[in-house]
Amino acid sequence: MISVSKLLTDLDAEGDGLRYDAAEESTKSQIRDEKQRRPVVVWNVTKQCNLYCDHCYAAADTDIADGELTTAEGKALLDDLADYGAPVILFSGGEPLVRQDLEELVAYANEVGVRPVLSTNGTLITEERAASLKAAGLKYAGVSVDGLPERNDDFRGMEGAFDGAVQGIRNCLDAGLKTGLRYTITERNAPDLEGVVDLLTDVGVDRFCFYHLDYGGRGTEIVDADLTPVERREAVERVCDMTREYHDRGEEIETLLVGNYADAAYLVEYAREHMSEAQARRVYEYLRVNGGDPTGERVADVDYQGNVHLTQFWQGYSLGNVRDRPFGDIWEDESNPLVRALREREDRLTGKCADCRYAGVCRGGSRLRALTVEDDLFAPDPQCYLDDDEIRGPEPFAGGDATSPAD
Amino acid sequence: MGELDHEVDAPRGATSREWEVFCRESSADPLTHVGSVSAPSADIAREQATQLFAHAAEALWLCPADETVRVQAESLALDPAADGTDATMDAESMQAETLRGERE
Repeated sequence: MISVSKLLTDLDAEGDGLRYDAAEESTKSQIRDEKQRRPVVVWNVTKQCNLYCDHCYAAADTDIADGELTTAEGKALLDDLADYGAPVILFSGGEPLVRQDLEELVAYANEVGVRPVLSTNGTLITEERAASLKAAGLKYAGVSVDGLPERNDDFRGMEGAFDGAVQGIRNCLDAGLKTGLRYTITERNAPDLEGVVDLLTDVGVDRFCFYHLDYGGRGTEIVDADLTPVERREAVERVCDMTREYHDRGEEIETLLVGNYADAAYLVEYAREHMSEAQARRVYEYLRVNGGDPTGERVADVDYQGNVHLTQFWQGYSLGNVRDRPFGDIWEDESNPLVRALREREDRLTGKCADCRYAGVCRGGSRLRALTVEDDLFAPDPQCYLDDDEIRGPEPFAGGDATSPAD
Repeated sequence: MGELDHEVDAPRGATSREWEVFCRESSADPLTHVGSVSAPSADIAREQATQLFAHAAEALWLCPADETVRVQAESLALDPAADGTDATMDAESMQAETLRGERE
């Protein structure tokens, strides 16, 4: 997760200390501690969903699936995560609001000291549920919208889903919940990007997370609808330009890019071209400490049946199950050679990644996409859009003070 | 250690049949459980496990999770038998609640 607004406009969001990714974007000491940090844990509380989105990584469906963790088991999991030191729990799905005990679980997470945040499609968020989630101690709600109304509703498989999500956002904001947008960029919805931001800024949203498509679940079925490298570079450039334009007008918006660490290298190049060498160095130092793709290290997933995954998108492989073993024991078990390999992946990357000068801020991007497209765990991420002349040569700013402040 | 008399029989499959994977890194090493893959057939499970572990494995064994008996000494708190309450809306309630905020 890369905060474009922080890196390009020095916007220190009010919520930096409150978000699930807080340690990545708040104070310098938090950033330095980040390598030792426990993972943010995504918990897909259910596989059931009231929508049927084309790109769903969880392959969610309208029916209840067997083996969901019960309320009591969910609380035991939260105890387990608290004991292990997980800083944040991201309630996800399916659609997490179909669980009527969501507020109870959110309150319990708060009680045991794991910061509760939410990822939702927004269409079940009534005034009452927004208020009850706020009262339970929810710290952040990320609502998914993937285009202007027509495109979003087509993508999400329901007419009225856009208006429903916007109403859900309004209900959250009215309840006093910090609320942001989640937008997965594909070829189909890239043209709507600025329109959605303009529209939701008027609604009162000031945080926008742009996700690159990962190739898990139904996401694998629309790989062909993903952006080309040229289109991806343009979309990321537009996010950067838009962030600075809002800033220049005195309207601060928080923008983040998620799921493709080629963006880290691009941001350094962008800062060098459009801002200054000093700004580029600052961006690089920040991202170097940030550490690149977090799969299997700084992010973890527990699915609705308790299976532990390397990221929420990588549902086809599980490390183990929390009904058999505590989460921390599973996550720390490096007798698993795949876990070891992912945690020392820099030594194994092949192709253009092997001698990329930005490997330190990217770490090869998504291993899941490489596996899906190239059948090779250590091949380059097929979403990398960097040019050869950008990635060849000595490491940027090598020899600089590695501990110089990122801020 | 206690008796291995607690059986964990909760389902493991997310989207299709789940296959437990065991890996031996060299002939002198023990066969170690390294998680599971979701796959509709043994051939595809083998292919997926190979993609993930070929870089380290001398041998891989796979077996269907639903044919694997899991017994352990302690009953963990995470046990579906501990509380069978289903907290999730049924499909009808879910549809009735959808966009309700919008209709108000």
